Amino acid sequence: MTAIILVVAAFLLLLPFVYESRNLLILLTQVFVFSIFAMSYDLLLGFTGIVSFGHAMFFGIGAYSMGIFMKRFEPTLTVFLLAVLTTIVLTGFVSFLVGLLTLRLKSHFYAMLTLSLSGLFLVLAEKWRTMTYGNDGFTFRVPELFIDRTNFYLLCLVVMVAVFLILKRFTNSPLGRVLQAIRENEQRTESLGFQVLHYKIAASVMSGVLAGIAGILYAISLRFVNTSVFAMDITLDALLMTIIGGVGTLIGAIIGAGLIEFAHHWLTELAKEHWIFERWIIFFGIIYILVVMFFPRGIVGTLSTLSWKRKQQPAVKKEEKIAG
Amino acid sequence: MDLIINLALNGLATGMLIFLLAAGLTLIFGLMDVLNFAHGGLFAWGAYSGLWIYSQTGSFIIGIIGAILTGFLLGIITEKWIIKPVYGNHVQQILITLGLMLVLSEMLKVIWGPNQITASPPDYLKGSWELGGVIIIKYRVFIILVGFVIFAGVQFLLKKTKIGLVVRAGVMNKEMVQALGINIQRVFMFVFMIGAGMAALGGVLLGPYSGVIHAGMGMEFAILAFIVVVIGGMGNFKGSVLAAILVGLSGSFMAYYVPDLSLAVNMLLMAIVLIIRPQGLFGAKG
Repeated sequence: MTAIILVVAAFLLLLPFVYESRNLLILLTQVFVFSIFAMSYDLLLGFTGIVSFGHAMFFGIGAYSMGIFMKRFEPTLTVFLLAVLTTIVLTGFVSFLVGLLTLRLKSHFYAMLTLSLSGLFLVLAEKWRTMTYGNDGFTFRVPELFIDRTNFYLLCLVVMVAVFLILKRFTNSPLGRVLQAIRENEQRTESLGFQVLHYKIAASVMSGVLAGIAGILYAISLRFVNTSVFAMDITLDALLMTIIGGVGTLIGAIIGAGLIEFAHHWLTELAKEHWIFERWIIFFGIIYILVVMFFPRGIVGTLSTLSWKRKQQPAVKKEEKIAG
Repeated sequence: MDLIINLALNGLATGMLIFLLAAGLTLIFGLMDVLNFAHGGLFAWGAYSGLWIYSQTGSFIIGIIGAILTGFLLGIITEKWIIKPVYGNHVQQILITLGLMLVLSEMLKVIWGPNQITASPPDYLKGSWELGGVIIIKYRVFIILVGFVIFAGVQFLLKKTKIGLVVRAGVMNKEMVQALGINIQRVFMFVFMIGAGMAALGGVLLGPYSGVIHAGMGMEFAILAFIVVVIGGMGNFKGSVLAAILVGLSGSFMAYYVPDLSLAVNMLLMAIVLIIRPQGLFGAKG
């Protein structure tokens, strides 16, 4: 498994030097950005069992922080780093507050509350026109280093791999184990003496900050930001990607992001042939419902269960023989 | 004075529309422990299908009936095929109903196109009355009346009929009702159907009221309905009507005096209620 990942990563790293295609580069960059976002969502949904419908707010905070810093000040690397820092502080703070609420609110209420909180951010972005230019959004210049698409592609790839490794380490750490225990049975974890709230806040902050970083990269890739970064659609994207790819696997989030971004690209092109492809999201909606119903572990989870079963089968037969 | 009466009527009418959506949500939640994130989709479906029938037949009444029937049908389908397979699993329920919301609103765009559709009330509900210098728009009064009729009807159904008795008992203790030999699954389906029908009715009434309908309106109103359900108390039918009127009135007055904050105030109200008094402002379940 690790070997495959390494080969794929090396391939992606070399790709811009051997194959010149601006469109593909931009598309892959988009995949990386959404992979980061989906992985951060997976930490909540797949590992801790928290359903949030407001993940877009962290994404949007990241995107707007970067946009506003780049617009107001000179687009230099220092300002870029300042914007990153601001994003981390802001998303960390907001996700800490939101995480605090998970203590009192169980599944339904939390989903509803996050949904309306992110709606609040959307309203804020629309109304605070002096800062955000409202619905129309604004364009901005980016640091020279990122003007080159290849550089930016590499940056996103590196960040994605780093986030993957960090989250892998994070979820396999003792802390991550407790998170998974919370997902399986919150009361039992609590009665074992764990301060469930602390762990949930840790997951929430980690996830929020990473989503903010995804937002930063998204804003730079477009060099434009408007209120759509706070929209429900962004949260829905993360949901579709993690669920279809496979919850609680991290790699599933990346695969899901790749699938959806590529499908989006191709299906929008097909829209010239038949208008139904313009509504491509409906196919994913239906697939999503079927996955939730029949394969709750998504593509990656289902595949790994299958291969695990295959490995187990000969052993079972042998046992049967012995028993017979 | 003129202004205040108009704002109040406006708020009441909006409140009644939200009530139609929230009532189903709260009943379904109280009985089945399912928070239906697709409820806004049913609302939008009611609007589109009802107005389409209205434009085809020319009769608003037939349009309303069509919308309610669409709601019933979608409610039955949703309950049977989407929600039943995941009963008891909260995370799956939340995820699947949100997915359904996505599919429902995309389907609207597939069938009726992605653009806004305009709607206007039938001739006999157009225009306004003048009472002592105050201009009262007929259609608003019509919505308020319909809202009260539906409230009274559901209240009658809950309090005076056998099925209502079963529903109320089911809200208190599902297992006991089942143990007494009542097919609770049927009751679930019935309540879901009624809830979906009310949502669809709300949708079709909204069309001529706001003048345009679009596929995104389901989610907009669903958020308001969630706010109402939380403020009124989950599963509390009477609480939902009071909360809906409260949210409608506050929305209409705030929209006039401090337009930038109207939605924000309602959301903050919900957040505060959730944190301080999760059982809702209007007392315990029942």
